[in-house]
Amino acid sequence: MNGSDSVSLWAQLSQAGLVEGDTPADSVSVTPWYIRTMLGIAGWIGAMFLLGFVGAAFSIVMKSAASGLLVGALLCAAATIMFRGRPNGDFICQFALAVSIAGQSLMCVGLAQLLPSETALIAILFAVFEIALFLVIPNFLHRVLASCGAAGGLIVALAVWGFYPYTQALVFAAFSWAWLNEFRFPTRSAELRALGYGLSLLVLTGLVMERSMQFWSAAWSGKGGLPLIGGPYAFWIGASLSGAVMLWVVWKLLMRQGIAVGQGPGLAALAGAVLIALISVKAPGFSITVTVLLLGFANGNRVLAGVGILSLLAYWSYYYYSLEITLLQKSALLVCAGAVLIAARLAMKRRWPIDDAGSRNA
Amino acid sequence: MRSRRQILIDWIEQDRIAPGNLQSALSLSSVFPSKANWQRFLDQLLLWLGALLLAAGVIFFFAYNWNDLGRFAKFALVEVPIIGALIVLWRIGLESISGKITLLAASLFVGALLALVGQTYQTGADTFELFAAWAVLILPWVLVGHLAALWLVWIALLNLAAVFYYLVFGGLFGFIFAPDQLLWVLFALNTIALVIWELRAARDTPDRWAIRILATASGTAVTILAIYSVAEFRHAGALGLLAWAVYFAALYVVYRIMVVDVFVLAGGVLSVIAVVITWLATNLLKSGDAAGAMLLIGLIVIGLSAAGGWWLKQVVNGARS
Repeated sequence: MNGSDSVSLWAQLSQAGLVEGDTPADSVSVTPWYIRTMLGIAGWIGAMFLLGFVGAAFSIVMKSAASGLLVGALLCAAATIMFRGRPNGDFICQFALAVSIAGQSLMCVGLAQLLPSETALIAILFAVFEIALFLVIPNFLHRVLASCGAAGGLIVALAVWGFYPYTQALVFAAFSWAWLNEFRFPTRSAELRALGYGLSLLVLTGLVMERSMQFWSAAWSGKGGLPLIGGPYAFWIGASLSGAVMLWVVWKLLMRQGIAVGQGPGLAALAGAVLIALISVKAPGFSITVTVLLLGFANGNRVLAGVGILSLLAYWSYYYYSLEITLLQKSALLVCAGAVLIAARLAMKRRWPIDDAGSRNA
Repeated sequence: MRSRRQILIDWIEQDRIAPGNLQSALSLSSVFPSKANWQRFLDQLLLWLGALLLAAGVIFFFAYNWNDLGRFAKFALVEVPIIGALIVLWRIGLESISGKITLLAASLFVGALLALVGQTYQTGADTFELFAAWAVLILPWVLVGHLAALWLVWIALLNLAAVFYYLVFGGLFGFIFAPDQLLWVLFALNTIALVIWELRAARDTPDRWAIRILATASGTAVTILAIYSVAEFRHAGALGLLAWAVYFAALYVVYRIMVVDVFVLAGGVLSVIAVVITWLATNLLKSGDAAGAMLLIGLIVIGLSAAGGWWLKQVVNGARS
């Protein structure tokens, strides 16, 4: 079935003069996301046992900065050699993944001992190290984890410097950039996808962590430990920046589709985005989760779209318990927003009726 | 099994599409959606989001503790959206997707009404009766609705009812005394739902995502039961391990041989790894050589997962050709 699908697709593209030659043979390089997820989780568990082994057998590694850094770097180097030597070996890659995670954890332990109480510096050095691993290790799953680690390090450093309220918008912008440019640089396409998935993990955990992080940052700033740039307005500004990123995404997608921004459908789409951005000032996860869904649909990526839908549902359940505004205010916001969206749908149906003769594509 | 997007990515990686032609190829193959597809998508998105926000708004409204609003005013207020939804439903019918979503919203509003009953008559807002009554009341709508999302909401309500039953009658201060009993109930509930759904899917259009959610729920419950057995936690007998073995053997037959679903198989691999680690950890870590045991367990996890990944890829490729 699917073989014929790729044959007919190739014929279609060939006819349009976009490709030349025979239909390429099916390769086995594409691994479904759930197999990768299973491998990633198991790799983590394996790494923790390897780390336990290192700690139990050579306790000096955990206590001295120099040996921790040295063994960590050696493990990561060994993982790099394995990944590069046998990029398609199932066993080698899984072993290398666990070795690399154990090595990265040891690097963290070593850095923490070398620079006690220099959290920001540790985080920045860790982020730089993760970026280096992203560049030298070509494995997709490893790149997802490395981009997650690098962005995580940057967030911690920025939080310590007092920029915490803006980190969500920053990661969200990088995430959107990666997916908008997925096919712009064909040779870098796989890297951008790995970056996009890694950042999506971080953006979505950030939404749920937000409350506790705000609590901690408020506690630190009270003791003079953590300055908060932007003062009491910081979280508002951060949420507005996330809304602005969403507007930028919608604008880019309209351009890609060749729709003029200044008239008719383009203007309506932007107005809808502005509305969602405004709601998001009081519910920052709304614009972010909707954008994940939009980008997933825009690139034909069902996995990303599914992540968008799930996170959207999870966000509103979480929102019930978040304490920023009272339930009454939340409910007013939700009812108004829901009514406007339904009205927008009815208006859209009336103004631009859907032509059902066109081909259907989920 | 492969989407057009994956086929194109494959060709990009084989360098078979000139970079200059890439954008046109993506549009022509409708990996980038056409204007009509965008329109259909936005139409659905606005409808679902609008209904979701409205329903959440109504529920939030009644979860807020009202003091200055009379009892009858409150009941009137919560019944208005239910009746409103039913009127809309009567006008547009159950066939269209808007009709189905309206029914879903009405089912959620019933929850707000029941929560209000609980609040007013001091039965407590989070108890299992609320969720059980909610599930019973909306059952007729669920039956006529033919909407996968509504069925899942209904099954989730039953799950919540079971959890709260054990919180109230089998627990204290949020700590459940008999987690294994609760897990058996959840396992039975979600497995029955999974079996019925799969039987229906054989003749109806299947909703694979819903089946996968149910399989994840029942598989997680039985895996934890097996881990209790293996770790001899709270004098759990061997029954959990037995149920786990039977369950995953059945899963293998259904999802490897009858309907190939690699998602469920991948979950099975993860479950096997979890049970094996628990068995090794309980038996090996007690012995004196902790370092050796950890190294052995780590290597076994890596070996098992790599073998599992290799096998799953074979299944995917077998299904593709």
